[in-house]
Amino acid sequence: MKKAVASVRAWAGRRGALALAALLMAAPASAARSPESWDRIAPARELLGDAKPRAGGIELRLPAVTQDGSSVPLTVRVDHPMEEGNFVEALYLFASGNPSPELAEIRFTPLAGEARIDTRIRLDGSQTVVALARTSRGEWLAGAREVRVTVSGCNSRSAGSVENLMEVRVRAPDRLRAGQTGDVRTLINHPMETGLRADAEGRVIPERIVRTFRVEFEGRTVLEARYYRAMAANPYLLFPVAPERSGTLSFFWKEDAGESVTAEASIRVS
Amino acid sequence: MKAIPGISRREALRLLGVVGAGSLLGAALPLKARSLGSARVVVVGGGFGGATAAKYLKRFAPSLDVTLVEPQRRFYTCPFTNLYLGGLRDFESLGHDYRQLTDHYGVTVVHERAEAVDTERKEIRLSGGAALSWDRLVLSPGIDFRWGELEGYDEAAAVKAPHAWKAGPQTMLLRRQLEAMPDGGTFILVAPDNPFRCPPGPYERVSMIAHYLRTEKPRSKILLLDAKDSFSKQGLFMEGWKENYGDLIEWVPRSSDGRVLRVDAGRLEVETEFGEIHRADVLNVVPPQKAGFIAERAGVADETGWVPVNPKTFESTRVPGIYVIGDATQAAPMPKSGFVANTQAKITARAIAADLAGKAPPDPKWANTCYSLIAPGWGITVAGVYDVHDGNLREVPDSGGVSPLGADRSFRAREATYAEAWYAGIAHDTWGTRPGA
Repeated sequence: MKKAVASVRAWAGRRGALALAALLMAAPASAARSPESWDRIAPARELLGDAKPRAGGIELRLPAVTQDGSSVPLTVRVDHPMEEGNFVEALYLFASGNPSPELAEIRFTPLAGEARIDTRIRLDGSQTVVALARTSRGEWLAGAREVRVTVSGCNSRSAGSVENLMEVRVRAPDRLRAGQTGDVRTLINHPMETGLRADAEGRVIPERIVRTFRVEFEGRTVLEARYYRAMAANPYLLFPVAPERSGTLSFFWKEDAGESVTAEASIRVS
Repeated sequence: MKAIPGISRREALRLLGVVGAGSLLGAALPLKARSLGSARVVVVGGGFGGATAAKYLKRFAPSLDVTLVEPQRRFYTCPFTNLYLGGLRDFESLGHDYRQLTDHYGVTVVHERAEAVDTERKEIRLSGGAALSWDRLVLSPGIDFRWGELEGYDEAAAVKAPHAWKAGPQTMLLRRQLEAMPDGGTFILVAPDNPFRCPPGPYERVSMIAHYLRTEKPRSKILLLDAKDSFSKQGLFMEGWKENYGDLIEWVPRSSDGRVLRVDAGRLEVETEFGEIHRADVLNVVPPQKAGFIAERAGVADETGWVPVNPKTFESTRVPGIYVIGDATQAAPMPKSGFVANTQAKITARAIAADLAGKAPPDPKWANTCYSLIAPGWGITVAGVYDVHDGNLREVPDSGGVSPLGADRSFRAREATYAEAWYAGIAHDTWGTRPGA
């Protein structure tokens, strides 16, 4: 049985423990949509220009049906090497049916080991979630997945306020072998106000988003993310890291109301 | 979701289940005696879905040959097990037998387990070795657990850290553990992510256990570790917890590191996503779930572990002639509740009777009410009506609602009384049994 150590509950990070535990993962949805769905998303078209993305190579996992559009689990995995000179440079995610479809933009380096993330997103009704990936050689890959969002009184979410604003949690694999890839989990308590919702008095609550999230390992970038309105409250991101030697992961979050926060976690590589 | 302002509309809604059933009965089906008379329907599972389906098949089409396959001679309901855990009911009051179904409705009941389904030959194999053939098959298999998906939580672990998410020995084990727990101990409940059986269930459970502990072991604590950031009737539960139990119950949502990723049943410890270890004196783990195993055997479950169905009839989208109802189905936004299984069973029984008579299935409407008891004399509800819209199931807009926040004690007390009446009513509708009988 593996041993665990204290969690990182505060502003500064400490070391997490444990290799991967089984993820309570939503199974892949059965209905894969034609990847041309990106054609209907203006920011995706802009991004692509004349490039023609190759369908396949990106796996999206979402529940086929969800009763809570405010926090839908999403896993994205790009099936592509992550070696110097040939790796997935950027992953762009879109919620095609949301008022603003941008969801997140995630830049990887070969230090991530794999181009793969788990997160939680907001979906404003049934729609297609689209992923585009650009490799360091300039190729584009595309993937898409349909999800049905039903409204249910039985699971209705009470619009609660987020407590412990800007409190962060991180957990890195305690120990890895050289070349081995391990998962890093991160979470920041934040309402991710869309700017599209009104308070009890009918006043619009201004947009307030954790805008950027960056991870370094010993000063080298592992991952850089830009978040948009479609990221669920309390942004959660799981991603891999494949360090060649022991060292410290540093995490930096910044929100557009000006607050920022950092955390650290060490990894031992043997 | 709007709260229903008065009780009268709630009562009207509650009646809908009953009224719905009545009108189904009233709509006499023009039967083609020959095709129906020779037809054989096998129903697997004798819970809220299966027992209701068997009974209503016979009521809609008395000439049908209906066989119900259920291993237990006495079925114990999950609804109200929390009241048993809280010391408000004895376990036997949750048991129902099948005598009314056999003696009064003419259903053949076989107390064996369904082991395999041969969809080519339209045969089901029973644990005793015999086979039953069918013209239409109804599966109401409930749930099974995804053992091992939560690291460290398998069948052996459940002996030490019970799930108590199927009524029976596990429920009684949890009660014995609570009785043996020292005053000042910690009870931990681990709640799963959606979807799972009985969305308000974990929250009613900690409520009822809070009632027991406050009465018998007032120095104890309750920790509810949740893989979710929100839950059914959340505002009402949290209001009721505060009013009745102060800070006895601590709910830890996913975003506060409530999601458990590992269980050590031997040490009664759980580890959360971000590495916190919590130790319990009594540990209740509600694990991730899937459709009952016969759904897999029949080939009707998909890669999610649940069963996709034609929304109008609940016929499997994968195997024609097999109908699936209850917790095993992908019927969102309908919750996985006993009430829903009961109404699904009636709609599906009618669809099967219509199909066998060469008729189109009727346009369905389903209803649900979920009562939860927070304390003795403190009940809350959520209710909804569902239909098919643009080919998908949906909750009819403004059809339901939840109890109002801030209602006075007499309001909560009335809802607690209705909860008891609901249980008596649905048990009678499903098994023909009456409380104490």
